Amino acid sequence: MRISIPPYWRTRIHKYRLVATRCKKCSVTLYPPSNICRYCGSREVDQVELINEKARLITWTVIYSAMEGFEKYKPLIIGIVETAESKTKILTLLTDVLPSELKPGMIMEPVIRKIREEGEAGLIHYGVAFRPALISENTKTS
Amino acid sequence: MLPEEKTGIVGWGVYIPRWRLNLREIVEVWGFNPEQPEELGVSEKSVGGVDEDAVTMGIEAARNAILRAGINPREIGAVWFGTESKPYAVKPSATIVAEAIGATPYSMATDWEFACRAASEAIRASIGVVASGLVKYTLVVGSDTAQANPGDVLEFTASSAATALVIGDRGNAAAYFEASATYVTDTPDFWRRDHSKYPLHGEAFTGEPSYFKHIVGAVKTLLEKTGLKPEDFDYAVFHQPNATFPMRVSRILGFPKEKITPGLITPYIGNSYNSSALIGLARVLEIAKPGQRILLAPFGSGAGSDAFSIIVTDKIEERKYKAPTVDDYLKRKYTINYSLYSKYRGLIYRVE
Repeated sequence: MRISIPPYWRTRIHKYRLVATRCKKCSVTLYPPSNICRYCGSREVDQVELINEKARLITWTVIYSAMEGFEKYKPLIIGIVETAESKTKILTLLTDVLPSELKPGMIMEPVIRKIREEGEAGLIHYGVAFRPALISENTKTS
Repeated sequence: MLPEEKTGIVGWGVYIPRWRLNLREIVEVWGFNPEQPEELGVSEKSVGGVDEDAVTMGIEAARNAILRAGINPREIGAVWFGTESKPYAVKPSATIVAEAIGATPYSMATDWEFACRAASEAIRASIGVVASGLVKYTLVVGSDTAQANPGDVLEFTASSAATALVIGDRGNAAAYFEASATYVTDTPDFWRRDHSKYPLHGEAFTGEPSYFKHIVGAVKTLLEKTGLKPEDFDYAVFHQPNATFPMRVSRILGFPKEKITPGLITPYIGNSYNSSALIGLARVLEIAKPGQRILLAPFGSGAGSDAFSIIVTDKIEERKYKAPTVDDYLKRKYTINYSLYSKYRGLIYRVE
């Protein structure tokens, strides 16, 4: 399964830096970004980066029958997380975690990972996945 | 004033994958002498996950370095990526990292190649471009998902990790460069030909005429240039392909064991190639005090070594905990078996 280059290229910055849109009227933040607020219909939106925000795990599912191109990543864990400050719900891959370790409410953080590869010779798609936060008592950012 | 003295490390960051392989697994699978891991001084190694490569690891290390530096990524004038495990043979990894951290489009961005020493040469080049005023900051990343032929002794240590440094003006540095030196020759101790999946090496030839000759050459040149002696340094960090080589080279040069062990990370994660010495430097920066002097001597096969004298400034304390530390990543670990390791590192061939 080959995805053409332009869609990947156009969305790369959204994926690499978790760029969302925040509505200037109702303040709702959406990811993936949208030029129209899906809550109030406003076309006045700002771009915001969520890459440094932690998030809370809401729910997840484990996929054992992955679609073509994703076989080596099985089992795939797909979850919904809600970011801590912007309260944005994001449908995302979960990584660095075993299904048995997941708990609702876990603190997660975004990382950049290989999402898929177009075979041995094709393009590598990088994007955001969330992992359990690497929290340190000493780390002021966590 | 030497060019080095105008520049320093403004921020540093590391990344170590969560997954570990106990080296007993390699002993069992490939029928090695059970004492082999002990002889290398390494008990387990870090393994990049199935969704990780040198780029993803480098991005996390880079983000940590920028957090510590507290700078706007747009002020970075060069993103230099040192690796010998490029995800693309042709297409820069550096542009992906530069885009991910927000340094594009006016930054230079290039991949450097010199086995385990590519990032080290990028540090010396950074000193030049920062001291000259050509750019304000550079970002140097050393990142590898190190390759080894399955069943080769190299497999015991070839591991995955990344380290990144933001290099800029001394006035904003957590540690500044005092002096540096390089020692390179054409020495074929380790190589990988085009289209060959794994590197080959000259067994014992990787030691005396290569690792030891070049590190000793670079460090002695630095000491002669500066008039410094081993006792003037508080810490020394050498390239660490295993735990025994750095201890031996330190004895040759006259550095006591207690100055080496704080920066010796290989016993816990193996040899992360371009990150090998740099992650040791990061660990030392995370425990060092203002005014202390650090010797850093990376090495790369082919072969060459650089030696840097680095002095810690009073900005070190405020930077240490702005991002996860080496110890934070060392503590985050989960042991996998040889089968999962083989899948994660692409040792199992699957028709796509």
